[in-house]
Amino acid sequence: MTTTAVPFRLPRANALVGGLLVGILALAAIVGLLWTPYDPLAIDFRARLAPPGPAHWLGTDDFGRDVLSRLLAGAWTSASIGVVTTAAAVAVGTLVGILTGFLRGWVDRVVMAVNDTLLSFPGILFALGLLAVLGANKWGIILALSLAYVPTVVRVVRATVLSLRERDFVAASRICGNSALYTMARHVAPNCIAPLIILATVMFGWIILAESALSFLGLGVPPPAPTWGNMLAGSRPLIAQAPWLGIFPGLAIALTLLGINLLGDALRDRLDPRMAR
Amino acid sequence: MLRFVLVRIASALPTLFLVSVTVFVLIRLMPGDPALIMLGDLADDRSLADLRAAMGLDEPLPAQFLIWLGNVAEGDFGRSISTNEPVFGLILARFAVSATIVLAAVALAAVVAVPAGMLAAWRQDGALDFAVVGGATLLLSVPSFWLGLLMLLLFGLKLGWLPVIGYVSPGQELERGLLYLVMPVATLVLTEVGVIARMARASTLEVLRLDYITHARAKGLSEGAVLWRHAFRNAFAPTWTLIGVILGNLLGGIAVVETVFTIPGLGRLLVDAIYARDYPVIQGCLLFIAALYVVINLVVDLCYPLFDPTVAA
Amino acid sequence: MRTRALPAAAFAAACLAAATAAAAGGTVRVQLNADIRSTTPGTNRDFNTDAVVMHVVEGLVAYREDGSVGPLLAETVALSEDGTTYMFKLRDGVSFHNGAPLTAKEVVWSLNRYLDPATEWRCRSDFDGSNGTKIEAIEAPDDATVMIRINQPSALFLGSLARIDCGMTGILHPDSVKADGTWDKPIGTGPFTFEGRTPGQSVTLKAFPTYAALPGERDGYTGNKTPLVDTVEFLVVPDDSAAKAALLAGNVDVLPDISNAAQKELSGNGALQVLTSPTMGTNVLLFQTTDPLLGNVKLRQAIAAALDIPQIVAAVTDGNAAANNSLVPSASPYYGDVEKQGFAYDPVKAKALLAEAGYNGEEIVLITNQRYTSSYDTAVFAQAMLQAAGINARLEVLEWGTQLDAYTAGKYQMMAFPYSARLDPALSFDAVMGDKAKQPRKAWDNPAAQKLLDEAKRVSDPARRQKIFDELHRMAIAEVPLIMLYNGTEVAAVAKAVEGYKPWPASMPRLFGVAVAD
Repeated sequence: MTTTAVPFRLPRANALVGGLLVGILALAAIVGLLWTPYDPLAIDFRARLAPPGPAHWLGTDDFGRDVLSRLLAGAWTSASIGVVTTAAAVAVGTLVGILTGFLRGWVDRVVMAVNDTLLSFPGILFALGLLAVLGANKWGIILALSLAYVPTVVRVVRATVLSLRERDFVAASRICGNSALYTMARHVAPNCIAPLIILATVMFGWIILAESALSFLGLGVPPPAPTWGNMLAGSRPLIAQAPWLGIFPGLAIALTLLGINLLGDALRDRLDPRMAR
Repeated sequence: MLRFVLVRIASALPTLFLVSVTVFVLIRLMPGDPALIMLGDLADDRSLADLRAAMGLDEPLPAQFLIWLGNVAEGDFGRSISTNEPVFGLILARFAVSATIVLAAVALAAVVAVPAGMLAAWRQDGALDFAVVGGATLLLSVPSFWLGLLMLLLFGLKLGWLPVIGYVSPGQELERGLLYLVMPVATLVLTEVGVIARMARASTLEVLRLDYITHARAKGLSEGAVLWRHAFRNAFAPTWTLIGVILGNLLGGIAVVETVFTIPGLGRLLVDAIYARDYPVIQGCLLFIAALYVVINLVVDLCYPLFDPTVAA
Repeated sequence: MRTRALPAAAFAAACLAAATAAAAGGTVRVQLNADIRSTTPGTNRDFNTDAVVMHVVEGLVAYREDGSVGPLLAETVALSEDGTTYMFKLRDGVSFHNGAPLTAKEVVWSLNRYLDPATEWRCRSDFDGSNGTKIEAIEAPDDATVMIRINQPSALFLGSLARIDCGMTGILHPDSVKADGTWDKPIGTGPFTFEGRTPGQSVTLKAFPTYAALPGERDGYTGNKTPLVDTVEFLVVPDDSAAKAALLAGNVDVLPDISNAAQKELSGNGALQVLTSPTMGTNVLLFQTTDPLLGNVKLRQAIAAALDIPQIVAAVTDGNAAANNSLVPSASPYYGDVEKQGFAYDPVKAKALLAEAGYNGEEIVLITNQRYTSSYDTAVFAQAMLQAAGINARLEVLEWGTQLDAYTAGKYQMMAFPYSARLDPALSFDAVMGDKAKQPRKAWDNPAAQKLLDEAKRVSDPARRQKIFDELHRMAIAEVPLIMLYNGTEVAAVAKAVEGYKPWPASMPRLFGVAVAD
């Protein structure tokens, strides 16, 4: 579930393919929210486990529900969980990271102690535990995954702030009489944006994967609402009879992640000064 | 160096304590009663009360925590509520299985990925570079559980080349044990090789730009010597950190691979324990994993001087 | 099939072994979907633990194939006139796995051990007065007779002794327990001896060469239980797909309980046998009758009329089971014409009932879980049908542990719930009937019905009991405290070479009387 910052010398190819794939995801998500060929929850006793065909382009599952419709609806669910979680983790993590990095002192020590504790849990297990407490539903998952990833954001932001704090323009701001708060908001925060964007892109991919993994283990968004993860999990007992049930959701996840990674690469090319040529 | 190690361990103790408290509180907040789960629909009030008492669950919560903590300090992690086995032995046995798979996978992935990444960086923008980066990006986009499932279907079922259930320890029976390792290790290798290759490539690129490389070339050293004698050690440092991070992550993520291949590992132990509300096992596992993180980070940090002479030992 | 080249000496030895094996011999490998909890009968147990331990120990009485109770270690069972004293005359020539003969002494020791609170016997509350019946005395008038006296007549006493989750009250030799009082391993009288186990992986049993079998045919857990294989290996394979793959690959011989999907897939396979049997587990939709909405009997009747139960059951069980609206299992000898009457699918009547009930589209939450596909599938289908009939039902999928909490506290509106098999209909009714004030988990709180049930637990006369069950069934259909949908079917998938394996209503795998052809 990790990936790294790497420059790729053909930004146009990256951005193009990545943008295309992510664009398709976004489109599928919006379509999934507004309209699907069939109701993703509609049961059809007579059309159970139908292979892909003219009536159901991607086949049906063991309740007779249309796979394509569920895939589209799942796109919306996965995408919205990904976006909201990433936004929440970034928002909270940035706030905490800037505050603690700028203020230092005992605040920093306490916050980092808590942060390190949270980082000691493998993200997925932490989410698992939280979900068992909160109950598995869409908001529970968002909360659990945000909490699981906030510490990473805090770490990155704090590191950036620490290096920025020594820079002249910060000292200058303070000498001018600006309060710490103003300096943080006006001068430090904007310079965190570039690494944050890169991190956010990467995290979005992690979160989509984490949500699928949680569903696969049985504690994701509860059925009958479709997510790619729980569709994949439900396909396991039927994989020999109805392989299309496992192939399409897995493919969807893989293509989405590919798109996000390529796009992330392209963004890094543009934004990361270290990689500038 | 000994002092360094001891200081690190000592400073980790408060974190471990916090972890224990958090875990304890968290799992007790979970709805669901292990005694009730064990008895299921056959439970009646009397047998439920008896079982809860037998599990030690009728004491007040703070007392339960302190009793557990006291025992842990003596090395006694208690007994599993589900199977009555001593928790520590159970964790170690399961950990041995998971560790074998994870270490084998990461080692293999590194052996393949690091040279691949370095060569890609060396021949930047060439066909090799394109292939390595393209392949790496593709591989790290594929979810490990999907890959595992497809492998199981192909090699286990359709072709019948590899065994499908369970696990035989290579310690017990080397040949059979290795057969059982092939698919889970292969799954993990494929999912991690991309990450490592990209990192190796990135850090090699950075190093190759530096002055001392130009200097080495100017001296007349062959490209090979430049690459391996000078670039490698420095380029490897960030990759080494990454490997530490991967090892830590895999401790958590391996539950998914263990589910697909039915491996009796640590990840699966924890997931099952959460479902059964087996409190001693959950507490023991998470504490163990947190301690493992500390150890892994320590080892990674200790090895740094090997790669980067500027880092003080 | 994979073959290996054997070195010559090993090959010769193998030939020799095969030649001397005669009719019996070989190993049969059986899947367990989770590791066993312990090897103690009736304590620290679950379904899988029982499955294994029931091959090693035997009780005074045991369940027959049809769910009635028959003698096993007892030759005869005599009941006194007042219904409180049971005389068990023990069979001749039965010995324990360590060679010691079975006498009244070991029986008394075993029974006292079970009743000792320190043993934590699962069923103690059924014999110490907590649930009515209390054992007042256990005596051995002579070496081959054991007398048990209870406080009041009970129709369920022998059944309780035979209960599988009680360990069949298996008679153990005192050497099963170490000198310091801790458990060692089960030394019983059963057809297999406990050989060993690798925790998390397997349990191994070996045939007991001097097993004293009853004459005749195998009959449930009694009858002729001669072991026909040398070794039984229970392999822990928690994952259904992995188990299926293992069977197809030849790594395992018996899957005692496969899913419907797997049954479809494996039925056509010539290298396997797919065997079915009805079970006495029940799958119900519970109502909370104290709920302001669902307290209205008209609404409950409307829900019953809005569900096409035969179609749901056909879909959920892939045609394996038939609908049954009675708490008396269809495989039970007490299942008769009265019990065949039930709910009828009538959308028109449902609408009328909804209007009568004054239903205004309020949301009704239907709880289910993913652990039991029967409950999950039923709930999904039911919710869709209810919506179609104008009943605003919403599905809530909980984790099993959480659902159990809600069930025990009675905190739900509707719930899809699976009950494990009870081999006597009185126990099936008992599982859902009771005083809600004292036991919130009970769905049906009706004092008149409760009186009838108590009588059924007391009297042993089958004709009288049949009348009582008929009456209870009629009351349940009229009052609709729950909707009983179907009894399960056990589907086993077995390798072609395995002969004599038969699933039965108690759902337990039996490996005695089972042989493996070469």
